[in-house]
Amino acid sequence: MGITNEKLTAQSKGDAPMARPPSKRASSSIVNWLPLAPFFLFASMFLFLPSISIFIGSFESVDGGFTFDNIIALFTVRDFINAYKTSLTISAITASGGAVFGFLLAYAVVLGGLPKGLRTFMTTFSGVASNFAGVPLAFAFIATMGNNGLVTRWLESAFGFDIHAGGFTIYSVTGLSIVYMYFQFPLMVLIMAPALDGLRREWSEACANLGGTSWHYWRYVAFPILIPSLLGTTILLFGNAFGAYATAYAFSGSFINLVPILIGAQMQGDVLFNPGLGNALALGMVFIMSISMVGYISLQRRAARWLQ
Amino acid sequence: MSSKKVSRRDFLKLGATVTGASAYLAACGPQAAEPAAADLPDLTSGNSIPLDELIAAAKTEGELTTIALPHDWANYGEMLETFKAKYGLKVNELDPNAGSADELAAIEANKESKGPQAPDVVDIGVGHTANAMAKGLLAKYKVAGWDTIEMKDPDGYWWAEYYGALAFEVSKPAIENSPQDWEDLLSPEYKGKVAMAGDVLKSNQSVMTVFAAGLSRSGGDKSKAAEAGLQFWKEMNDAGNFIPVIADQGTIAQGETPIVMEWDYLALANRDSLAGNPETEIIVPKSGVIAGPYAGGISAYAPHPYAARLWWEFVMSDEGQNIYLKGYAHPIRFNDMAKRGVVPEELAAKLPPAEAYANAVFLTVDELQEATTYITENWRSVVFGE
Repeated sequence: MGITNEKLTAQSKGDAPMARPPSKRASSSIVNWLPLAPFFLFASMFLFLPSISIFIGSFESVDGGFTFDNIIALFTVRDFINAYKTSLTISAITASGGAVFGFLLAYAVVLGGLPKGLRTFMTTFSGVASNFAGVPLAFAFIATMGNNGLVTRWLESAFGFDIHAGGFTIYSVTGLSIVYMYFQFPLMVLIMAPALDGLRREWSEACANLGGTSWHYWRYVAFPILIPSLLGTTILLFGNAFGAYATAYAFSGSFINLVPILIGAQMQGDVLFNPGLGNALALGMVFIMSISMVGYISLQRRAARWLQ
Repeated sequence: MSSKKVSRRDFLKLGATVTGASAYLAACGPQAAEPAAADLPDLTSGNSIPLDELIAAAKTEGELTTIALPHDWANYGEMLETFKAKYGLKVNELDPNAGSADELAAIEANKESKGPQAPDVVDIGVGHTANAMAKGLLAKYKVAGWDTIEMKDPDGYWWAEYYGALAFEVSKPAIENSPQDWEDLLSPEYKGKVAMAGDVLKSNQSVMTVFAAGLSRSGGDKSKAAEAGLQFWKEMNDAGNFIPVIADQGTIAQGETPIVMEWDYLALANRDSLAGNPETEIIVPKSGVIAGPYAGGISAYAPHPYAARLWWEFVMSDEGQNIYLKGYAHPIRFNDMAKRGVVPEELAAKLPPAEAYANAVFLTVDELQEATTYITENWRSVVFGE
């Protein structure tokens, strides 16, 4: 702005400009942002606009008018309250279970002195397994651990062991949690492995030099450094399970009362049709996820500070 | 049924464009297909028009516009081909995957248009007929053999063309003694073996599965069936017989869901594609046979009103009805045709025995809506005790 033509020509003709001309700085900052344009476009199309549409849709009645009924229903209808409870329970169980198991596995692979090839194998497997979800995952578990599953049958015929004897059935909150664990812990491995790489050997040596034991090292050095990323990833796993729909639907329909299942019934079934209510249920999920994302971001910041 | 789906908005948009375009064409072009009304049979009475007159009138129109007829659904592919070949009419097929609501939206959006986006005939879920009539979207017409149609609007605004009955699809290697009736399913020998093909909160088929079981219990009393059905499924769940997996061909083949309740035409098509691996048996229960019909109708704004009526005369004739049967959809005139012996034996042999369908119960639109509301609202609390 306000740069004359003469000045531009003069500068471009001048040799070895020590300071960059202001015009160039201005344009380069736009150029710097330009590669991000697709990201912002993507984020607004697939994150912001849908969120806004969910928010607006939550106040829409079946005939298109304005209503608070959908929001009120979230807090009054027993099925909805129970669904949020079950969804939160399953997400919490599988997030913490996945975190503990995934962390131990990542530790074993990164620091446990296992052969190098195993790490490559583990990360490849985790990359695939963490994305294995939906109908194929549900079917895989039905076919292995279902009533007529391969493993169920094999345990029965080889050992006379009936997994249902103790009242266990895979079609339960426990069973669904096991299914979710299949994609939860690999995600933990994927994210924790680099974090464990970040632990410098000097730290443990310094600790040992000062007379600290392994316990001291973990208690006062490694764990405090890791805990933000541990908790942050746990929240990520929580969100991962919280939003899972296709797996749960194929696995047991509305037998297990989850929020995404209720949303699906309102939006795309041929029985119930109240998109406003579906939007309101989704809004509740967005609200819960926003809280956990804010927690994730603040913890992530602390982790980054420590590891610098 | 969920495969019949499309964005309704796309349709309206398309409709609006075409409306504009055809208004323009109508203004410029000569009024070609408007023969003197006196020559043509009367449309207002809604009575069946003699076939030769109807064919002649339809030929002056030369074309029929259909919507939402997937070629692999109830054998519509063959239906359309046979119709074209038989009467030499051109058929303009609009979106085969449209849902019932989309079909009605297409009529509404093209009220002012005689263009190629205006459907002449529709095939909609019976639950949508009330809405269509309230909006005045349908024209009345009673095809030949009207009395033998078992479900219809008394004034002729719509009629069922085909139906499925809820049947048990049983995987033979897993089940030695096939259940013959709803109450059999509660037996301890079927522990963890009874599944539905959809979720009650999401699929009309599963709502009807609850209702049919109740109908069997209430001895055919429709007013008590919804409640009795929930009680039945509560017992099923308490006994551990109900397995909540959403059954499909994969889970049937694998054996996890050896007994599945489904519309018979879907189950029979499944049987064909499984091709004996595993062997399946399709059983229509002794009591509580519920029919899931589709309804046909003519657009009140049809650009080709005679071709539309000729289409239905063909579809509802013995020939057309047998084409449905080839796709395992039960023609609505099945009982009448079976009585007269015009159902080809090789077709009948592939279906469960005709007697099984003799007691099929049809719900009125109101009954259907009432049952659906009651069942979906109480499903979780009654059956799962939550």
